[in-house]
Parts: sequence; structure tokens; C-alpha cells
Amino acid sequence: MRKIDKKQADAYFRTRTTLVTIYLLIGFSASFGVVMFAEELSGFSVNGMPFHYFMGAQGAVLTFIILLFVNAIVNDRIDKKFGLDQDLEDKK
Amino acid sequence: MDSQFLVSLVLILATFGLYIGIAVYNMARQTSDFYVAGRNVPAVFNGMAIGADWMSAASFIGMAGTVMLLGYDGLAYIMGWTGGYLLLTFLLAPQLRKSGRYTVPEFIGDRYSSSTARLIAAVATIIISFTYSIGQLSGSGVVIGRLLEVPTAVGTIIGVVLIAFYSALGGMKGITWTQVAQYLVLIIAYLIPVIFMSLQLTSNPIPWLSYGQIIGELQQLDQQLGVSEYVVPFTEATKWQFLALMFTLMAGTAGLPHVIVRFYTVSTMKAARWSGAWALLFIGLLYLSAPAYAAFSRFILMTQVAGSSIADLPAWTASWVNTGSLSVADTNGDGILQWEEIVISNDIVVMATPEIANLGVFVIGLMAAGAMAAALSTAGGLMIAISAALSQDIYYRSINPKATESQRLLVGRSSIIIATVAAGIVALNPPGAITQIVAWAFALASGTFFPALILGVWWRRANGPGVIAGMLVGLTVTLTYIFAAKFGGFTILGIIDTGARF
Repeated sequence: MRKIDKKQADAYFRTRTTLVTIYLLIGFSASFGVVMFAEELSGFSVNGMPFHYFMGAQGAVLTFIILLFVNAIVNDRIDKKFGLDQDLEDKK
Repeated sequence: MDSQFLVSLVLILATFGLYIGIAVYNMARQTSDFYVAGRNVPAVFNGMAIGADWMSAASFIGMAGTVMLLGYDGLAYIMGWTGGYLLLTFLLAPQLRKSGRYTVPEFIGDRYSSSTARLIAAVATIIISFTYSIGQLSGSGVVIGRLLEVPTAVGTIIGVVLIAFYSALGGMKGITWTQVAQYLVLIIAYLIPVIFMSLQLTSNPIPWLSYGQIIGELQQLDQQLGVSEYVVPFTEATKWQFLALMFTLMAGTAGLPHVIVRFYTVSTMKAARWSGAWALLFIGLLYLSAPAYAAFSRFILMTQVAGSSIADLPAWTASWVNTGSLSVADTNGDGILQWEEIVISNDIVVMATPEIANLGVFVIGLMAAGAMAAALSTAGGLMIAISAALSQDIYYRSINPKATESQRLLVGRSSIIIATVAAGIVALNPPGAITQIVAWAFALASGTFFPALILGVWWRRANGPGVIAGMLVGLTVTLTYIFAAKFGGFTILGIIDTGARF
């Protein structure tokens, strides 16, 4: 990887770590969080199913997919902002 | 020979021909082709290849049935396995790709600057992938055997020869493109029947939107029968067991060496992130459809099979009763088959759907080709992982560092053939059910690689002696527990050797 200023490298690393932490929190509350409160959340329906079942069968998976795509897009922007064009680098 | 046999045979042979053709066309000429497909696989196609690599015969054949039998509790598998890709893509894949190695053990060895760590990781890779591949090979034996009406052992041998041939020839480069083809075959085979079933039951061709309505009707049917309701949570096990199972499946997914190595085949960290996103989208297509299969099948069993006279069951039930996957004993002798009197194996939910929905010989043949694609693609990826551990991590890095390109390719190719044949021989007389064997592999992966990789990437102070001790303990404890539970009748808190069922 191209040599970049240490301060900038730290900022880059921090931004990415913060984002990953947020994504994981969202992902875990959609799965583990909903399971923890499954009984309480079964009162209303989404897409014809009780909410806890919907989250298990569809909601959590959709959340995961969206998070991964958001991560890919946002990370590309961050790379650009920090001037790291990865298409030219990392090739070994 | 009836027409069904011929159609299935032609479809299977056509897909086999396609896979071999792709491998010949993409023959590996240098070691970087052989281990990491020259590192130039586009992210979308790598996503498909990861999907096929990851979704095994057990996912294709068994998952919908498990969800049907366990109700809400079966959804731990759906969330656990897809959630594994969050951990993998956020915490591991791009960082491992950045390291620029060929294999997972190489990363561990170099990160912790320890050849011992590398060798232990290589041995763990071989044990995990070997265990996993036994399940795939015996699975493909069952499918080929049933389809071609030959003994399961002959079916297994056919699968072994095919995999050994095309993976030794194509290496990772060939495997990548066969896996792309195999993904397309398996997803088409999986979606067509569920779409038709949705049309027939709800006159809506989009099963993901329509099965909610069926679930509502199932709730009413359950209430009338007074059985435990389909959507009620934690009927099979406690909430904590559900959460623990889900976590194990996530960590196991993120620690499977044959899946991680697929992230090494792209050119950049950026492409590794996109591969993870595409992979989960492609995997999600199948995982979002499995609960739809489950709901539709349970509805048909409850409305069309249960409640009818025992002498007058739908015609499709007969062939599955004969194979022992469906039991419809009229235990209380009133001539009517009650819902409680149906015992169904989780393997038939997907495979029986084309017959239930009356979709004809072509779709039945396509299902068989899809199940084969799922088994072969996973087995192929596993064989590459074993071969890379043997030829790169052990032979090249430890035994003969001066080996030339052609020597390394030769060792790589021959280790694939030896590994496939060895796994095939064990698979002729498998040590457990397919799902059980796969569960062992998962437990081993989450006990050895997941912690070693996470700490290696995220904790600067993790060091060589620590990781060696950790992997050895993980491996020993897990193996001991599997053997003790399997052969010695020893368990802790009643947890059997298969914490997970696949």
C-alpha cells in the first residue's frame, strides 16, 4: 500500500471501525435482539406473518444483505475521500 | 427405463459435461491459477461461486424440511448461516485478502510468525474440509444412486471420479467457473418448483410475498387441531439454545477455510467487500425461499394428506413411503390419516415438491441436477482447500521451499486426487448421517479458525504461542467431544455431538 501520513491512516482506520461497529449492532439487533424479545414482538404482523417470524424468515436476512451492500458502497466513498484508489493498489 | 429416468439422466449428464468442459477450458497453468484463480475473478461472479461453494447438498435438500419440522425454531439456521457473512465480510475477508497470501494457514503462519502455527492450521484445514467432504460425497452418492437406480456406493464413486477429474485439472480457476455454473443450475432448480407451488396455492407467482397468507391459514389449522402452533417460538428448545445455536452457526461460517479462500480470488480489498455482498444476495435467494417451501409443504400435508382416507392418499405419497422418508401409519385404525400420524423426513420437502405440484418430468430431473450441483460445488471447493494445505502450506513452505512451479502444480494436482479418493472411501461407509458429519466440521471450524483469525486481524498483541495453544485446545476439545459423544456415550448437559443439525 502507498505510504500515507500516519494521522490520516489512523483517521481512515477509525472511520471504518466505527462504521463496522454500527453495522454489526444493527445486524445483531435484527437477529439476536428480535429473538430475545420474540414473545413480546409477536403481537403484530408484517407480510402476513407475526413480526418475530417475519424477522427470522425474511427481515434479518434482508437486513444483512442491505448492510453488506451499504458497507461496500460507503467504503468505496471513504477510500476515494482518503485518496486510496484500490483498483490500482493491492495487486500482487 | 421410463421417460422420467431418461430425462433425469440426460439433464444430469448435460450438467456434468458442462462442468468438465468449463474445467478444461479454464485449465490452471500456474500456481496462482491453481490456488487463487489468478486473483482476477470479478466480484459478482465470485459472489455466485461463494454461494455454490457454501450451499451444500444439506442446504439444498434438507433446510426447508428442517424449517418445516421445527417451526420458528428452525429459523435459527436461516439467521445463523446468513449472519455468518456479516462477520466474514466486516471482520475478516478484506483484511485477509490484503495480506496477499494463498491460503488461510499461510496467513496464520505469517501473521504470528510461526511455522508451527501454520502447520497446525494446515492440519486443522485438512481435518475440517475432509470431514465436510465426506458428507458431500455420500450426499451425491444418494442422489446419483436414487436417480440412476444404482447402489449408493456406485453413486458415490461416480461423484468421486468426476470431482477428482475436474478439480485436479482446473484448480481454483476451473472450480471458480464451474461453481458459477453450478450456482445457476441449483438456484433455478430451487426456485421453479416453489414459484409454481405458490401459483397453485395462492395464485400469486412471488412465493416470498404469498407465503405469509399460508402461514396465517396454518395458524388456524393448528388451533383447530390443538397442536403447538407453527409460528410459536421455542417449542423445540429453549431461547438460550436458539441463541447459542445461531451464534455457533455464524462463527462456524466465518471460520470455514474453503469459504474464506474464495475471498483470495479477487483483485482488491474493495472487490472482497463486494464479493461478500453479492454472495449473501445470491445465498439469500435460496435461504429466503426455504421458509416458503416449508409453509407450502406443511399446508399441503395438513389439507390434502391429513384427513383423507388411508386407502385414498394422493398418488405422490406412494414413492416416498417406499423409500422410508414418509410414514403414514394409521395407528388408531380408524381408516383416516390424522396429522399426528404423519412422520416425515426433512429430506423430502424440497425433492417431493415437483411431484406434489405435478410439474412433470423435466422439473423433477432439474431438481436432481440442482442437488448434484450443490453437492459437487461444495466438494470441489473443499478439495482445493485440502490440496492447498497439503501442497502449499506443508510441502512448499516446510518440506521443499525450492520446488519449481511445475513441481508445486504436480503436488497440488496429485493431492486433490488422493484427498478425493480417500474421502470417497470413507464416504462409502459414512460414520454418521450427512447432516451430522457437516455439523462436526462446523464445530471444528468455529473452535479453531474463527478465534485465531479474528484475534489475528483485530488484536495486535495476539501472539504465536497463544494462537498455537488456542488452536490445539480448540481442536482437541472439539474432536474429543465428538468422539466421546459418538462412541463413548459421554455428553455434557445432554448436548449431543451435533449441536447443529447440518
